[in-house]
Amino acid sequence: MANLPLDGVRVLDFTWAWAGPFCNLQLAYLGAEVIRVESTLRPCVTRFLPPFADGVAGPNRAGYFNQYNQAKKSILMNLAKPEAIEIATELVKHCDVVTDNFAAGVMDKLGLGYDKLRRVKPDIIQISMSGYGQTGPFKGFVGYGPPASAASGMFFGSGYRGGDPAEIGISYADPNAGVFGAFAIITALAQRALTGEGQYIDQSQFETALALMPEGLLMKELAGREPVRDGNHDFVMSPCECYRAAGEDRWVSIACGTEEEWQSLCKVMGKPELAADARFKTMSLRKQNEVALDEIITVWTSSQDRWDVTKKLQAAGVAAFPSMTAKDLAEDPHLNERGYLVQLEHPEVGKRKHAGVPWKMSGTPCNVRAAAPVRGGDTETVLKSLLGYSSDRVEQLMKTGILA
Amino acid sequence: MDKPNKSPFAAIKIVECGEGISAAFGAKMLADIGAEVIKIESPEGDVCRQRGPFPGDKPDPEKSGIFVYLNSNKRGVVADLKKPEGQELLGKLLGSADILIHNVAPDQRAAHGLDSAALTAKYPKLIVTSISMFGETGPYSHYKGYELTAANAGGWTNLSPGASPFPDLPPLKCFGSQCDFQGGAHAAFTSMAAWLHRLKTGKGQAIDISEQEVIAAMLEMNLVHYTYAGREASRLGQRLLGPWFIADTADGKIFCLAVEEEQWKRLVELMGNPEWANDELFKDRLSRGANMDALKALMSDWISGWKTQDLYQAAQKARVPFAPINTMKDLYENPHLQERGFFAELDQPGIGKIKLPGMPSRYGATKWELRRPAPRLGQHSEEVFCNELGIAKDRVNAAR
Repeated sequence: MANLPLDGVRVLDFTWAWAGPFCNLQLAYLGAEVIRVESTLRPCVTRFLPPFADGVAGPNRAGYFNQYNQAKKSILMNLAKPEAIEIATELVKHCDVVTDNFAAGVMDKLGLGYDKLRRVKPDIIQISMSGYGQTGPFKGFVGYGPPASAASGMFFGSGYRGGDPAEIGISYADPNAGVFGAFAIITALAQRALTGEGQYIDQSQFETALALMPEGLLMKELAGREPVRDGNHDFVMSPCECYRAAGEDRWVSIACGTEEEWQSLCKVMGKPELAADARFKTMSLRKQNEVALDEIITVWTSSQDRWDVTKKLQAAGVAAFPSMTAKDLAEDPHLNERGYLVQLEHPEVGKRKHAGVPWKMSGTPCNVRAAAPVRGGDTETVLKSLLGYSSDRVEQLMKTGILA
Repeated sequence: MDKPNKSPFAAIKIVECGEGISAAFGAKMLADIGAEVIKIESPEGDVCRQRGPFPGDKPDPEKSGIFVYLNSNKRGVVADLKKPEGQELLGKLLGSADILIHNVAPDQRAAHGLDSAALTAKYPKLIVTSISMFGETGPYSHYKGYELTAANAGGWTNLSPGASPFPDLPPLKCFGSQCDFQGGAHAAFTSMAAWLHRLKTGKGQAIDISEQEVIAAMLEMNLVHYTYAGREASRLGQRLLGPWFIADTADGKIFCLAVEEEQWKRLVELMGNPEWANDELFKDRLSRGANMDALKALMSDWISGWKTQDLYQAAQKARVPFAPINTMKDLYENPHLQERGFFAELDQPGIGKIKLPGMPSRYGATKWELRRPAPRLGQHSEEVFCNELGIAKDRVNAAR
């Protein structure tokens, strides 16, 4: 028996795309048994997005799905069929947590709302992770990650100095909602351990994104002004930027938080006198003259390899590090030595490299216990072990499109 | 005035130390659902007290916005952990604590009395959760880092802003201390999971969180683009699908997204079925992505005739997932957030009543509330060390 924090916790997972599966992934990493409910008739979008293993498309060959659904089980269920809803409801009796990230009200319409499920299992913990929440004038609005970041003010605050509001490279509001969802579920499990009660959690992606915006919101609330876009620069620390390095599209970040670090940077650049330069000798002067400062640093970095810059500066106690690409990450000696990157055997695509668990626990070591499931691969075993169905019955339900 | 703590989690005692955002945010998430958090600051005070934003832009260490947001619901004490007297006070706190959350860098921990293995050996029930840029083991574990460092080390900035036509402009960090917030959030849920586990086993443990790894786990499909197909995504290039862009409205900007075919059809109808929408160039979402500039140009007149919030409502009514580029003012005035009561009010001494982001997940049973304002520097030193732990005042002063 594995010794993991969420041993014995079983999750019936109706989520799809990224935010919901990312939430459930954290639970799976912590030892919960996560059973994803999928359907061939309404496939999870990430099973059909590239990249595909060897460029060949297929629901079990998609890197996106395989990355975010490691260590989970998959059962087929056609939720349009009342018989499937009955089976799902039966399964809930054996589960601790139910998760979904449908639009507001969908679970109720399906017959899987909290009022119904709590009668089946009184201490059930259920979370709905929607775009805008289950109440309010915008409930039911269509939510995706990038528009959630737009709505949260994150795009307004992001962008190059003097430039327009910018996007932020990844659909960040999705994994963020997943992280807050994981926290909420674990908190609810802890509450249940203390008081015996379950609960329903209404999580809005929009609101979880707003938890990350105090620096902008409080600028308005306290200083009466909107944040000003300033690229990679910090509103206090200087220098703080990604600088051009040698090679094709190669960059290295440098940030100095103290006068000591600034002086060290100047020494390593071979310009110790710069530290006392009238334009740069204090943090606020460096901020004021940042354009000139960045130009000077660029002259130094742009002829050098980004890793040379990094090593020299880190040896002098200065925060420097390259802008890592996916290739850099996959081949990184530090990440590989920490065992962060995992290659598990998948029945259809074999061994592929994925990101693993982003924490280490000394008493309950969390590893990725299995590759992502093939679609529906656990239908029979789950229904047999939890509901006592025979193989024939499962086969019949598959044939009649209920488990499909 | 402090409110009484009626949460079942009031019995959880957390000690928080370090500097800045990550550990403070993680401890905040736990404080907000009822855990009792004691924050240890150095005698100079946390660096967040210097960051602001400040009322009227006037720096004041007792009125820093980010400090107040992160540290409401906590009691604050002072101890210099580089001194033996400070470590003695830390030890007294840890003797009765359930969880320690900190972000002191790995190569500084021994000097601060924060070596994880030593702590878990000395306090077997204690959960020690540490957050750092690169984790506590590995060739870069002694590397220095700030928010920008983590964003680059984790592979995020390389992808940002995305679809950029400017190769001369650098990889771009997102607004705000996102890597630090994520490090803290991971500290919060792993600590709570370890606490739940300890109910069964009685044993604590050490948790090591690397911000680089946290971010590298969030790169959407970009890591596997390389590991499955040898493709290196970057901030440059084009979006695959369309429409997907930021456009000007009559009074601001809006994010236009309609990448499902059904959404596009409804958008075309909303636009009044313009002729150009029938062109081959826009026949499906891949073509629309390939011809994004033309698409944006053709849509711009229509978009710029609308006020942002009106277009948002009209598009969403047609089930098209547009969203405004909201300003901070827009957010505070947002009717949906107002009806949901999302913003929480905090009465912070010296500032007055302010509205902050409130409960990020709406619990049916767990109580989320702001019970006390952020502490003044050392505000609770006497209460905690002298009154509760029975430590003589001169020993407390010696730790400053």
